[in-house]
Order: sequence, then structure tokens, then C-alpha cells
Amino acid sequence: MAPPRGEVLQGTLDLIVLQTLELMGPLHGYGIAQRVQQVSRDLLKLNQGTLYPALLRLEQRGWICSKWGASENNRKAKYYSLTRAGQKQLLRETESWERMTALMARLLGGTEGA
Amino acid sequence: MGWLRIFGARWRGLLSKRQLDQDLDAELRAHLEMLTEENIRRGMSPVEARYAARREFGGVEQTKELHRRQRSIQFLDALVIDLRFALRGLGKRPAFALVAILTVALGIGSTTAVFSVVDRILFRSLPYPHDDRLVSFGDTAPFEANEFVLGPDYVDWKKAQTPFRSVTSFVPGGADCDLTEQNPVRLKCALVESSFLPTFGIEPFLGRNFTSEEDRPNAARVALISYGLWRSRFASDGHLPGRTISLDGRPTVVVGVLPAQFEMPNLGHDDILVPAALDGSTDRRPTARQTILRVFARLKPGISIQQAAAAMQPLFEQSLNYVPPQFRHEVSFRVRSLRDRQIQDARVASWVLLGAVLAVLLVACTNVANLLLARATSRMRELAVRTALGASRGRLVRQALTESLLLGVLGGLAGCWFAQLLLRLFVSIAPDGIPRLEQASIDVRVLLFALAVSLCSGILFGLGAALGRPAPELLTGKENRPTARGLLRQVLVTVQIAVSLMLLAGAGLLLRSLWKLETVALGMDANSVITAGIDLAAYRYPDSAKQLAFFHQLEARLKHMPGVTSLALSDTLPPSGGMQATFLSSIEIPGHAKFSAGTGGMIGYRYVTPGYFRALGIPIQRGRGFAEEDRSPRERPVILSEALAKKLFPGGEEPLGKSFRFGLQNGWRTIVGVAGDVKNNGLAAPADPEFYLPWKNETEGYFRSAHVIVQSAIHPQGVADWIRGETAAIDPTVPVTIEVMTTRVAKLTGRPRFTAVLLSLFAGMDVLLAGIGIYGVVAFLVTQQTREIGIRIALGATPGSVLGMVFRNMARWTAAGAAFGILGAWLCSRFLESLLFEVRAHDPFLLGAALLVLVAVAFLAGWIPARRAMQVDPMMALRYE
Repeated sequence: MAPPRGEVLQGTLDLIVLQTLELMGPLHGYGIAQRVQQVSRDLLKLNQGTLYPALLRLEQRGWICSKWGASENNRKAKYYSLTRAGQKQLLRETESWERMTALMARLLGGTEGA
Repeated sequence: MGWLRIFGARWRGLLSKRQLDQDLDAELRAHLEMLTEENIRRGMSPVEARYAARREFGGVEQTKELHRRQRSIQFLDALVIDLRFALRGLGKRPAFALVAILTVALGIGSTTAVFSVVDRILFRSLPYPHDDRLVSFGDTAPFEANEFVLGPDYVDWKKAQTPFRSVTSFVPGGADCDLTEQNPVRLKCALVESSFLPTFGIEPFLGRNFTSEEDRPNAARVALISYGLWRSRFASDGHLPGRTISLDGRPTVVVGVLPAQFEMPNLGHDDILVPAALDGSTDRRPTARQTILRVFARLKPGISIQQAAAAMQPLFEQSLNYVPPQFRHEVSFRVRSLRDRQIQDARVASWVLLGAVLAVLLVACTNVANLLLARATSRMRELAVRTALGASRGRLVRQALTESLLLGVLGGLAGCWFAQLLLRLFVSIAPDGIPRLEQASIDVRVLLFALAVSLCSGILFGLGAALGRPAPELLTGKENRPTARGLLRQVLVTVQIAVSLMLLAGAGLLLRSLWKLETVALGMDANSVITAGIDLAAYRYPDSAKQLAFFHQLEARLKHMPGVTSLALSDTLPPSGGMQATFLSSIEIPGHAKFSAGTGGMIGYRYVTPGYFRALGIPIQRGRGFAEEDRSPRERPVILSEALAKKLFPGGEEPLGKSFRFGLQNGWRTIVGVAGDVKNNGLAAPADPEFYLPWKNETEGYFRSAHVIVQSAIHPQGVADWIRGETAAIDPTVPVTIEVMTTRVAKLTGRPRFTAVLLSLFAGMDVLLAGIGIYGVVAFLVTQQTREIGIRIALGATPGSVLGMVFRNMARWTAAGAAFGILGAWLCSRFLESLLFEVRAHDPFLLGAALLVLVAVAFLAGWIPARRAMQVDPMMALRYE
């Protein structure tokens, strides 16, 4: 049976995009979408279109910046890359995410252990 | 700061919308193409690949919409849309837009122009720090409009007072002084204390204030000069302080320059301040030289004007002991704010004009509201469609308000331009003596006011149309008569009629009062009389012998003027005040008891040459006028005015030949004649009793200034040139002020004329606007009822009965408006009372006339659409809709 697909929470999508850019360097929207699906192994199914408002939001906050460039097959594409503020934000969000998951783990683990 | 960056980004998004849309299109297209290529690589056919890509991507348009929403500021975005929509709407109906904008411009323009004038009088702070703490205080007496303090009282009070942080004074009458260097000029000098500038919180622009040591009798002379004088005379010399100038022929050190915005508290135009050098004496003997002072003070924090007055009252009562008993009950004590002292009686007129112009604005707004309501009615169906498509109520209200705000702001812009014109008109027709009129201008503060008024009116006239709820039932296509809005429109017209009637009645009162004032009997004949005011400089003519010699010479020269019917000299001129005066109680007639209940009021007197009565056409009712022989020192005649003769000889006793004396120092005189009464205290006040003394050939009295009076049939310009020439032949430095007597008289009605003309102008605008409003509503109702009228005509109604139907409807709200208007006029006219002369505030005749005018206008305005109703073709009407 296929595992149920998770809905993408807004905050999560931001974190995923930032993490992707940190790992892969500058990428265009299509690349980010591919990477997200590849990493999540289709656990997360997102409408690729929803990526763009998220990218805009991150750009407006100054965490990523964009530049027009040429893709692998010489197509004009917009490349997004992480800014310094974005790196700091990623660090912050990773930390808080870890705290949150640790908390959830303890909470759920506790009930399991009892 | 994050939000700021987001806001900035969004703001940019708003501005470069098209570029960003294109970018997004390109980006999404690239994404889809890459997806498609990938799918093809996976082995799908190109068509299949494209579909799959679309599926994976999700809704392209939704993404774009989300993106757009993300990058813009929604409120502003909607505003831009609304504004565009509103502009398009206005552009589509240019006639509607033009009428609405012009109406708003008329209202806002007049309001702004009047505000720019009265703001300086009523609201704007005076150019002193904490100006609301400044007061003027002193004695008030029937013979003087402003409060004053006698020198010895001032010395006492200043020491003992408690409510004021500081007290200062200046000597009134701003003496002329002369800068006696090369190119001598006549200037105005004010005598002030060293505490003067500190009390008002003014720092000299250059140099320093004078010290209290310099403000003593016999100290070395120092002066502060005005900024204007410093610029014009001393070429803005930064090293001027410390330099010695020659003032009235005496060396004087300039210690400082006053700041540019400095203003004397009595709004006088003084060029130089010199120390008053009060000697601090409390000498109260009758022979002591009593200085009269204008006293100003700064209140201590937390003390109100009433508290200050109460605190000073005991000091005042002490001083009252030195006042001769018969005067005591006529003197009282007053503290009032500096603003009140400055604007005097301009307050009432200012409020009246401001109220009138706000009424014009109200009527203008009502008209635009009516226009918008009519338009909203014709757009009902459109609004219903939008509601059905999911537009929220708030969104529709916002749209409607954007539209009316746009109209308000456009009208406001046009109004500011109109205000500029009006203000120029005001200044050009304004008489002298309106406080601060010369400063009035359309500046930032006034523009802000205009903006606020524009926005408020925009909301005000948009509200009615905006709040109307579009009924979805309209979409069914059935006829729906919007009765509620029709009712609102009629209420608006009722308001217009009421307000217009009030203004019209007010204008009528002022005009009638003006007419009475202008036709008031002067008691003299001002026609073909020319006067020349001549002022002798104190430093050139220091004693009365020299002054008299000058005038003697002038008189001798002018006697030979061709074409002159009569010529006279006198020290003062009717009908304005300013003549010398004595109390009735100081006049003695042998065998009569002296008047002793108070001062008895002021009795004026003039020195005149024998030609005076003939030149001014004043009738000698009994006895004789003066003759040349009366000018020799042996003769001591006096001529009484009729009013004075009645006062002194109440029982019809013969005054001629009786002895007469005023004041102990003056000798006995013989009454030789009684002259007719002449207005001598302005036009509105009753003529003060007065008497005439002959202008002697020997020194007597004080003649530094005098008037030449010439009655002549030849052209005034010729006479003026002659007088100027003859004066210059004796002494070219003496200034001559020529006036035609009729102009001089007309000047006295300047203030009331100004107020009356402006109020009439606004009332006229109001009536015009109300007429347009009535026309609009009647036309609207006739259009609404076309079908009904058609049916009635088809069923046999005569044109007359149709007309009656339309007019009956109109008569209902005209009558309601008239009733409210009469009530309002009745209540408000008492505010005008102090501006009226010989007219009762509640004049039923004038009110009736105003009502008649308004009803006539209403029926004229209603007639045009009503006639259309009579001509309705029943066939056309039944096919209507």
C-alpha cells in the first residue's frame, strides 16, 4: 500500500526550499521542484505551481535572491540562491524544527512506552 | 524591520506590475517546458507529455493569481483598481464630472479663501511663544476702546501683582520720529520698557535687547530697529549693532535688530523701539504729567484670565481711590487675551463669514450628493450584477467612496485655484483695518485645511450613494422604484432650501444696514470737497509758534488758488473721530449747575478758520459763524453744535451771548452761534456734541497736524497739485495727504460693505446651487414618474393637473425647507446684531423678501422639468422600459 501523501504545511515548504538551495547551490524553480520530489520520494506531493508564491515570499523576506540565467539546455530560466540572511534563517528554522520534532518524539514515545 | 522590507518589495511590485507579470510568465513557461521535455524523455508522446506536465504543475492561472496577491499590497491594489474604475466612469460622463467638480470647487474654493483670511484672525497662533498666555489688562472707560493704565497705577500694580509671570508696557500713540542722517526719513518709534521683548518671548535677531539701566530717564539713547528697516536702510549690515545713528537729531546707539516675524502687540507698524524710560514716580497730583500706558502681561502657569482679573481687582480698587469720585462708576477693570485685543470687533464678522461659507460648502456637497444618488439609481442594475457575482457589500461601498473621494479631491484641487482668485478679490476690495488681511495667503496650513475639507466633503456626499443597498431582485427585470433614495434626495433639497434661506436673510439684513449707513445724514455737504492732511515733523517745527507760522503762510498762499469757492483750515475733520475732547462735566455756564453725575461723556472740539462752515456746508442755525476779526487775541467766541446747545440749555433757553468755559485753565468765552450737528464719531454712532473754537493768528493749542479743506468746482487733481505745490514751496519735506471728502466718507462704510458684499456673494452662490439642486431633483422625479404621468394623461388628465401633481410634490419639501430656514434665520440673526445699524435683527419684512426670492427660484427651477412632464406623450411613456 502506498504511504499516504502528506499535505505540505507552509512553514515546511519554506524550510525545504531553503535546505535545498543550501545543499544544491543556485537552482531554478523546476530544479527545486524536482529535487523536492526526489528527496521526499513522493512522500510529499506538491502542486509545483505552489512553489512560486513561496519563492516570492522568501525573496521578499530577503532570504533568497533571484537572477536570470541559462539552463543546462540553454533555456532562459530564473535561478534562485540563498542569501546570508537565508542561511541564518535556515539555521534558526532547523533548530526550532529539531526542538519541535524532539518534543513530538518525546511526547509520542512517552505514550508508546507506557 | 522585516515588515518594512516586505512592504518595500510589495510597493515595488505595485509599481512595476507589468514587468513582473511578464517575468512570471516566462518563468512558468520555462518550468512547464522543462517538465514536458522530462516527460518526453520518459517516453510519453509530446501531447501526452504536455498534459502530464500541466497536471503535475497544477493551475497556472491560480499560481499567477497567488503570486500577484503575494507581491502586491491588497488594499492599495484595490485602491488602484477603484481609482481606475472611477476615473473611467468620470471620463465616460464628462458632463456629470464637470458639473460635480465645478460644484465642489465652488464650495471648497470659497471655504478655503475665507478660511485663509479668518484663520489669521481666529485660529492661527500669534507670533509669540505660548501666545495663549499673553494678556492685555487695564482700566476701561467709555471714551476709550482699549484698556489703559495710568503711569502711577502701573508702578504700584507691577510691584504688587501676583497672577503674572511678567508685566510690560508701551506708550501708545507710536510717535513719529525722524532718522536725521543723509536722506532723512519719517519713521514710527514705539516707546517700550526693557521688559517688553522678554515678556513676549522675543529674542533680537541681531545684537541684544536694551537693559533696565538703559531704560531710565536721562540714560544714553539706545534703540532696537525692525528687520524691515535693517534690510532697507542699513543694507542688512551684520555689524550694525553698536553703531550710532541720528534719531530726531540726537545720537542713538542701535543695540539690536528685531526678528523678521516680530509684530507689535497692537499690530502697529513701528520701525524702531526705544526705551520708554518711565521714571517710576507715583505722583498722582492733578498737575503731574500722567502717562497713559498699554499694559501686557504673561500669565503664570495654571492661572486663567478670570483668576488673573480677580487677583488684580483689589489693586484696581485701591487705585480707584485716586480717581475723582464722579468718574469712579464709569471706570472698570478688564483682563483679556492678546488675541481678543488684536481682533476687536472682527471676531463676529469672521465667524459670520466662516459660517456663511460653510453653508455654501454644505449646499454644494448636497448638490453633488444628489448627482451621485441619481447616478447610483441609474447604476442599480450594474451593482446588482456585481453583488450577484460575489462582490461584498464593503467592496461596493469602498468603490463608491473612492469615486466620491476622487471627486472631492479633484474638486479640491480646482477649488484651491479658485480660492487663490477669490483671496485676491477679497484683498482688492477689502477696506483698511481688517486685522492681518495683508498676511493672508494660501499656504501649507490652508492647503491642508482644503485637503481635509475635500476628503470630508467627499465622504459626506458619497455616503448616501454608497450606503444604498443594491437589490438583487432588480435582475429579474421587474420595475423597481427606489423610493428610499428619492426620499433622501428630497430631504437633501429641504436642507438646501433651509440653509439658503438663512444666508439670504442674513445678507438681506447686512445690505439693508449698509444702505442705511450709506444714506445716513452727515450734517454736511461732502460733494466737491477736497482735504489735505499736513503733518509737521517735530524736529523741524519744535514749538507751536513755528507750527503756526507755517500754517499761516500756507493759508496765505492757498487763498490765491483759482476756482476755489471756499477754503478753511482745521485741526481735525469729520465724520471720523479723533478730534480733541473734554468731558461734559468740565464745561461751565454761569448760572447753570455743573454736570456732576459722572463725566457726562465726551464733548469734542475743533479749531477752525472762518471758512470752515461754508466749505463743508454746515448750516449756522442761530447767531453767526466766525469772522476774520475773531482770530485776533481779544475776541473769545465759541460756536456750539445743536446737540451741545440742547444739552447745556435744556429748557429752550437762548444760548447766544452766554459765557462758556471748559476746564479751569481756559478762559471765559462768549457763545456766538449754534451750528448744525455733524457726524463726528463714525457713521454708526450718534453724533457727539461738539463746539468750535476759532483758529487764532496767535499761538493757542497744538498744531502739529492740520487739514486744509477746499471746496472747488474744478478737477480734484488740479486742486491736489496746487496744494502740493504751495506746500512744497514753503517746505519740501512736509508730507501732504490729499483725500476727496466723499471717498473719505465712503471709507467709513468700508468694513460693513465688505462683510455685506461677501455675505451677499455667498448667499447668491447658495441660492444658485439650491436652484440647480431643485432642478435636479424635480427632473429626476419626473423621469421616474414618466410612466405614471403617461397613464394619467392617457386616462384624461389635463396638462394643468400634471403640472399640479409635480408642483404639489415640490411644494411639500420647499415648504418644509422654508419653515426650517425661517426658524434658523430667526435663531441665527441675533449673531448679526452687533454688525447691524438701525436694522432690527428680526425684521419680518426682510425675512419675507428672502422667502419670496427663494420660492421664486424654487418654482423657476421646478418649472423646466415640470413642463417636460406636461408634454409627456402617453404612447411613448407606456412603451418606456
